[in-house]
Amino acid sequence: MMTQSRKCFTFILLITTLFSNDEKGVPEDSLYFQFNPDSLYLEVGDSTVVTIRLLNEGGELSNNPFYVYGGERGTVSTYPRISDSTGVAKVLVKAFKPGDLTVNVRSISVKRNDRVRDEMPVTVPFPPIARIEFDESVYRMYEGTSLQFSATVFDEASLVRDDAELSFSSSNISVAEFDDFGKLTAKSTGRIKVSAQVENVTSTVDVRVVRNPVRGMELSSALDKVRTGDVIHFTAKALGRGSRAVEDAPIEFSYTGIADYGIGLPAAGQISQDGRFVAETAGLYTIYAASGGYSAQKSVKVVPRDVKREVELIGFGLVPDYYTSDLWIWPGIGKYENKDFAVTGTWGGDGNAYFWDVTDPSAMKIIDTVKVDARTVNDVKISEDGRVGIITREGASNRKNGFVVLDVSDPYNVEVVSTFNDDMTGGVHNTFIYENHVYAVNNGRKYDIINIQDPAEPYRVGVYELKSPGHSIHDVWVVDGIAYSSNWTDGVHAVDVGGLAFNERNMPMIQANPLLARAGKGSTSNPTPISFKTDPTGRNHAAFPFLSESTGDFFIIAGDEDFPHGVGATKDEPSNPRGGFHFINFNDPDSPEETAIYQVPEAGSHNLWVKGDTLLAAFYQGGLRILDISGELMGDLYKQGREIAFFISAHKEGRLPNAPMVWGAQPYRDIIFFSDMNSGLYAIRIGSKTKEESD
Amino acid sequence: MIKKLYPYWGFLFLAVMLPALVNGKDYYIYATAESEDEVALIKFDGKKAHVEKRIPVGVWPVEIEGPHGINISPDGEYWYLSMAHGIPFGHLYKYKTGTDEMVDRVELGLFPATLQVSHATGLLYVVNFNLHGGHDEVSTVSIVDPEEMIEIERVETGIMPHGSRLSNSGLKHYSVAMMSAELYELDAMQMSVTRKLSTGKKHQMMKGMQHHTMNKMGKHSMPKEKPTWVYPHPNDQFLYVVNNGTDEVVEVDIGKWMISRRFATDKGPYNCEVSPDGQQLVVTYKTAAKTGIWDIKSGKELGRIKNTRKVSHGVVISPDSRFAFVSVEGIGAEPGSVDVIDLVSMKLVDQADIGKQAGGIAFWKMEN
Repeated sequence: MMTQSRKCFTFILLITTLFSNDEKGVPEDSLYFQFNPDSLYLEVGDSTVVTIRLLNEGGELSNNPFYVYGGERGTVSTYPRISDSTGVAKVLVKAFKPGDLTVNVRSISVKRNDRVRDEMPVTVPFPPIARIEFDESVYRMYEGTSLQFSATVFDEASLVRDDAELSFSSSNISVAEFDDFGKLTAKSTGRIKVSAQVENVTSTVDVRVVRNPVRGMELSSALDKVRTGDVIHFTAKALGRGSRAVEDAPIEFSYTGIADYGIGLPAAGQISQDGRFVAETAGLYTIYAASGGYSAQKSVKVVPRDVKREVELIGFGLVPDYYTSDLWIWPGIGKYENKDFAVTGTWGGDGNAYFWDVTDPSAMKIIDTVKVDARTVNDVKISEDGRVGIITREGASNRKNGFVVLDVSDPYNVEVVSTFNDDMTGGVHNTFIYENHVYAVNNGRKYDIINIQDPAEPYRVGVYELKSPGHSIHDVWVVDGIAYSSNWTDGVHAVDVGGLAFNERNMPMIQANPLLARAGKGSTSNPTPISFKTDPTGRNHAAFPFLSESTGDFFIIAGDEDFPHGVGATKDEPSNPRGGFHFINFNDPDSPEETAIYQVPEAGSHNLWVKGDTLLAAFYQGGLRILDISGELMGDLYKQGREIAFFISAHKEGRLPNAPMVWGAQPYRDIIFFSDMNSGLYAIRIGSKTKEESD
Repeated sequence: MIKKLYPYWGFLFLAVMLPALVNGKDYYIYATAESEDEVALIKFDGKKAHVEKRIPVGVWPVEIEGPHGINISPDGEYWYLSMAHGIPFGHLYKYKTGTDEMVDRVELGLFPATLQVSHATGLLYVVNFNLHGGHDEVSTVSIVDPEEMIEIERVETGIMPHGSRLSNSGLKHYSVAMMSAELYELDAMQMSVTRKLSTGKKHQMMKGMQHHTMNKMGKHSMPKEKPTWVYPHPNDQFLYVVNNGTDEVVEVDIGKWMISRRFATDKGPYNCEVSPDGQQLVVTYKTAAKTGIWDIKSGKELGRIKNTRKVSHGVVISPDSRFAFVSVEGIGAEPGSVDVIDLVSMKLVDQADIGKQAGGIAFWKMEN
């Protein structure tokens, strides 16, 4: 460590050198760095000293100081970070992360273009591979069958190494042989050793190939005529002598088909290796089940799903001045008992929330406006009893964002009751009201739970925040005491905030929802996680629970938000987002599984609502889409002809004319209300059946 | 009649042309609009200011990302922009001046804010303001290689570090921690904190006391000073720290590392800048919606100009020390403004509307 006086002296020298060089006009492009050694190989945690010199074209010290730093932050540390005034540095280099890293150097000069840069490669190997574990421990195969092998590779730090190049080999390829993708085909009876190898580490497992007892196949299904999107379960049986079932025979499923329509349209579908098949196009399909050279087949007729309906525009309320954000519809109370109302927010505007009388959806009109200190009122919510409204604030002029509590019992004269901004300077983006509590997404980091039993005196009772590095949250929705939050990369999380009491009345709901069955420990002051599913794409923007009325399956529908073409899209030009809705089956909360996806090509997903077995999906520039989500859900729902209707909203006098940008929807009585960011509030009704287009 | 005017022609000529001769320069300023996700390039010709270009910034059309801090590279070839909001971390963006095309970006910490490139080190220093939450966590200064756009170091300072500027030598970086009321001096070369100073009345040397320790001592109490800005005098002997919460600017003697003078200001001082000639200190009064001009030598306020909107924000002074350009946020849908103040006549010369919540402001160039 340098003493203070030495540091001072060094700086004086440096500064003198720096500016004298500039005055003399030293041709810095003639300078170059010399590293000794010229590269490093370090283990994680190891360090060594490197001597670095900045030389002139004559190979002499340049008398020009330079910086030293280790590439990306947290990979390599360097000390000291600066050379002496002659252009020499003895640098202690320490490695913190594995990879192909660098120590970077740059000369110090007043003019940017005079600076000379270089780097020294530092190779920090990953920890050595420690072991390979086969995913199955006992292997027994029938002759003539194939089996996909897999194994997990661990390094000495016990980390799973997905980057390792794993190869499989057979000790006797006349008995069984691997293809290039880890699939082993048993050719004849015998015993072999299968080796899995990464670098010098090998793990082996014994595999026994026995005589294949299969002598025939049977294939059956309960149905032989279905609609597109309907999942058929095929049962295949491998039969031995005497038609006895061979239970452990591996069976492979496949299909062929001919589409009903046209030339070039594929007979598209999906088959799983447990025998479930779903078709996307109408046609004649043949399903095959094969094992050990024997196969069986069954043909099924797939007809169009035939769910398309006309959609009728009932009413439209133009919002020309500002972008429209979220909406909420509710029935009036007291003297307004026979009336219906809506509230819409504004985005990037003047902090307005508009209150509408929508009793006659064909003549929706704004009846009151609440203006708060904000640029964006992103979210609006009304309590179940129709008395309290919550609007969020972002962009307050004093940076005290948060939310505003409203008395909406008279929607013609909405009054601000209180504001809540404690610890919410970064802004509240979304909220939900559930049993006298506001769940407020705070600063994109957590959600706070605020008691509003007395709307004039809200107070915080709980907070839920993830612990993962760089965690972030976008939205929260609460049903039956479970809070469903959407958390970008951390995906969807289900948290017990006071799940339903275990009594006779609640029993059907508790039994139907596997998450509710696990609730009971959480409360508003003690939010307790139940289950989650991460999103490796980092796009999880919305989460909505869905209990299928037709199957009893329980899903969380996870919506994406993705703007791959987003740069500059705020310049009053239509946006071009992407993304879809993922159906994650939570029947087993310990092992949630995505089974289906709904994405509209060239459109971007936003908010959603489920009513019965129907999904109302806001697809931004793709308009409002209404999807049949009845029955078992598997595969690509868009391609299965499940769309009931869609409505492309746009208006020539909109904030952005003639550009659809649907934000969200809410079903209400027999109407679907939805907000369009660029034009305002819409009311549509699903009408009669349309003439089915051929799939 | 014409003959009668002859003797005065010279005078008339001067009367007409003098302002043009004096102000015959064009000034170019970049200013951010935090609630518009936009940066405006403003041209001022000595009389009139107008928006030359509006540059949309950010990647999320339906989320406000909040362009906050902006500054120009010492050679004027690039401008750098901090975007406060991310998922959850903010970014530093690099743009080419003139064409205003985006070059690159790098993720930093929570709510990156004010920034500057050192002409000595060539590195960029940006505070991670971390506006979020309970304001009880210490934050950092990120140090970025602006050529490669990689973050090479993160140095821990105080709670909610905000205003930050480099000394004129480029060797020291100063920032103030708003919620721990501290001035931090960072060695730009060694990339480490060298000194810190309380900006309150009971100021004292605070060497070695770690914020971790402070946090363990109990709930953090907010200081009343809430310093929001620091600016070095061109002579690098003094710093001017804006104590937003106590309506004052304090002068810090860098050599003695102590507060040498206090200037009582109007309500809510927010940003400040010293004129390049070292004569004047210009301070924005956020709450009062005014801008104050101070004579540094006498410590007297020479003028107080009402701004055109209600929330005054940042200030930058032209290299000729003639004009101050003040960003004024506005409220709600009100457009932001860049107000131009003549530092000689102490009057508002003109203003230009930009997007909502005008914030960071940087001087690009002056042309004849």
